[in-house]
Amino acid sequence: MAEAKGRPISASQKPTGGDKAVVSRKQYFRRKKVCRFCVERIDDIDYKNTALLTAFISERGKIIPRRISGVCSPHQRRLTTAIKRARHVALLPFVAEV
Amino acid sequence: MRIYEELFIVDPGLPEEEIDAVVGLIEDVVKEAGGAIEKVEKWGRRKLAYRIQKKEEGYYVLVQFSAAGSTVKEIERRLRVDERVMRYLTVRIDEKLKWLEKRRKQREKRMAKRPQAAQPAAAQPAAAPGAPARPEGGN
Repeated sequence: MAEAKGRPISASQKPTGGDKAVVSRKQYFRRKKVCRFCVERIDDIDYKNTALLTAFISERGKIIPRRISGVCSPHQRRLTTAIKRARHVALLPFVAEV
Repeated sequence: MRIYEELFIVDPGLPEEEIDAVVGLIEDVVKEAGGAIEKVEKWGRRKLAYRIQKKEEGYYVLVQFSAAGSTVKEIERRLRVDERVMRYLTVRIDEKLKWLEKRRKQREKRMAKRPQAAQPAAAQPAAAPGAPARPEGGN
């Protein structure tokens, strides 16, 4: 009986969570992210191009994950090495003070 | 022979001659090994993203050269020993340049083809405005 009681509770909690997800899906329209390098046809991801690279680091100087920036994985890989090279020669910070 | 790019930071407090001397040092090593300097770019004084050797600024120099791999080892050794050089970075770029050239050619080829493809493509957008109305009506 105790087990039977326990289940409905967890089950009753589930729908609320489910409802929230539905609401959020209705409220926020999530736009499909596209890779900026693919769209703008940027072939050369150069470590010297700080203007471009700064668009892909956070305020703190961290590399923005592609789940957020929408960059495709081949480009993210090249972007990461470019940022790391730029950091080594002090073109970009390792840690930026906010 | 491979193409390399050497970016290094020199102490900004030094006179111009000293900076030329560091560039000359690289040139000597490359020429001695039978390579060739392709370009030297002096970026000049630049603010560093973080302090290096308690300095806020650095004098950036970019040297592009073609040489064998063993030359790089010698250059890096000398730069490491040199107290005027605060930081250096060597990147092999011949493969990248080749790849970029290939990409550029591909693009050009595609662009050459496009004028023919443009006509059927132009017909599609004309038909498109009518299309979105249908899904809306369906909902």
